[in-house]
Amino acid sequence: MIASLRRISVIAGHTFTQLVRMKVFGFLAVFAIILIAAHFFKLPHTYGPESVAEEELRMMKSSAMGAMSLFAVIFSIAATGLLIPRDVEDRTLYTILCKPVPRFDYLTGKYLGVLFTVFIALLIMDLLMSGALYLRTMGVLEERVNTATALGWSEEVKETERQEVLRQGVTWSVHAGVLAIFLKAMVSAGVALLISTFSTSTLFTIIMGFLVYFIGHYAGGAREYWLSQQLDVSPFTRFGSHLMSVVFPDFRLFNIIDGAIAGIPITASMIWKLTGISMIYAAVYLILSWFAFAKKEF
Amino acid sequence: MKTSLAVEISHLTKEFPSPFKRKKIRAVTDVTLQIGEGEIYGLIGPNGSGKSTTMKALLGLLAPTEGECKIFRRNSVKVDSRKDVGYLPENPYFYKHLTGKETLAFYGKLCSLRGKALSARIDELLKMVDLERARHQKVGTFSKGMLQRIGLAQALIHEPRLLILDEPTAGVDPVGSREIRDLILALKEAGKTVFLCSHLLEQVQEICDRVGIIFNGKLKREGTLEELITLKDRLEVTVSGDADAQENFLTLTKELDGLDLISSGAPKTSLESLFIEMANEEERRKNA
Repeated sequence: MIASLRRISVIAGHTFTQLVRMKVFGFLAVFAIILIAAHFFKLPHTYGPESVAEEELRMMKSSAMGAMSLFAVIFSIAATGLLIPRDVEDRTLYTILCKPVPRFDYLTGKYLGVLFTVFIALLIMDLLMSGALYLRTMGVLEERVNTATALGWSEEVKETERQEVLRQGVTWSVHAGVLAIFLKAMVSAGVALLISTFSTSTLFTIIMGFLVYFIGHYAGGAREYWLSQQLDVSPFTRFGSHLMSVVFPDFRLFNIIDGAIAGIPITASMIWKLTGISMIYAAVYLILSWFAFAKKEF
Repeated sequence: MKTSLAVEISHLTKEFPSPFKRKKIRAVTDVTLQIGEGEIYGLIGPNGSGKSTTMKALLGLLAPTEGECKIFRRNSVKVDSRKDVGYLPENPYFYKHLTGKETLAFYGKLCSLRGKALSARIDELLKMVDLERARHQKVGTFSKGMLQRIGLAQALIHEPRLLILDEPTAGVDPVGSREIRDLILALKEAGKTVFLCSHLLEQVQEICDRVGIIFNGKLKREGTLEELITLKDRLEVTVSGDADAQENFLTLTKELDGLDLISSGAPKTSLESLFIEMANEEERRKNA
């Protein structure tokens, strides 16, 4: 029996409902509080002539996107690591696999359900952040224009200042940064999915998921350093080191999130490339998970 | 037995790896059984005798170490074989966040049911298992009996021809147990094949056409109830008459004056007695 998009969407939809009813979106309330707090937070030197008004906006983006990143990674690893073992423990998995449901459909549905939940949560958070950031940007802009007028700056300098403030406001790069957070969550969830197919404990899956996540931030740099120190690297060793990057995905790829916070423009080609690499990671983890899950006995 | 077979289990052996030993644990050894279409077949045995392993192998949840299982001639390791089977696991839990209706809708959609056909099927099943009032109630608040009944309904959602029920009345009170028994009989009337395992031997005796008795992973006895519980080396005579006449009958069995012979034949034991006798025998054999 071949995979069915309809069946996958039924399982994904159900997983989404399950997570929503577990009140995971309660995090959005915490996020809203962070935004409101950030909105009222003002750096003392903003009003002075040497003010760095953009810094205030950067801090706002940093706290909001930091919270989004934290939510996305913790949620994607914990939810993915929790859902399948729970189905096994509660024997609900038996009732699903005893229907004409291929195991690939079940796994893919669960994975997509978690990703859809993360996507919706990030979308809402992105909208909230964009709204708050827009209002704050307008406030900062007004303050800067007033300060510049009072100081008698030329129109040209005022325009430069205006552009600098707007560059730290709501831009496509900010949304691209949020997309990068989603892609990072997608890869993290893929890792957790793979671990959960052979792990017998939810706790083990979650701990291993985070371990791989943290190692993934340093493994790429360590690998490159090691390779650069070797005088003669055989193709086999090089292949082996690259194979390790599948086990421990290179999370440095997602550092463009920091660029988005700093107001550095993120090009379309960068985001396409990141999306492509993340999709490959997700596909590899899904296929490996399927291999492990297809042979699993209950 | 009818010629059309719903279940064919041939020389099924299942071994599990032992975590710290090289030797594998054998849960089922060379089990062969067949269930004809429309039959109710009961598999009985003590805890750990291999009943659930046999059922799981039949459902493709476990891969046989040796032998094979077929459902309506389709190998049970293939997903296609599950189109015609509904399963109720022992002590089932369903998604607590779903209502009774949503639970059936979820399973129905997995079986490609949609729209009005699905809604009609849900209504029909909720009525059948007497859970109409729990339609919008969260499954997390269901009693044990209600869980078994919603479990039975989900097993039937796609109108399977074969039902596999693992301890369908486990933990259910006598009234609920009787209701489930009646449902199973109604399903037989509707032409369904039922393969069940239960500890309630009296109930198995009441509803099953054929019974298999499994001990230590081996199918020890199998047959129709008549075959299993008839004591062939004895004769049962039923008489009617007054007390004196009965007294005479007891003392002078050769002179039957004043007594009418109503029926005679081999007396029957109960399935429970047979099971306990076999269990004791198995225990003696193990200890020998």
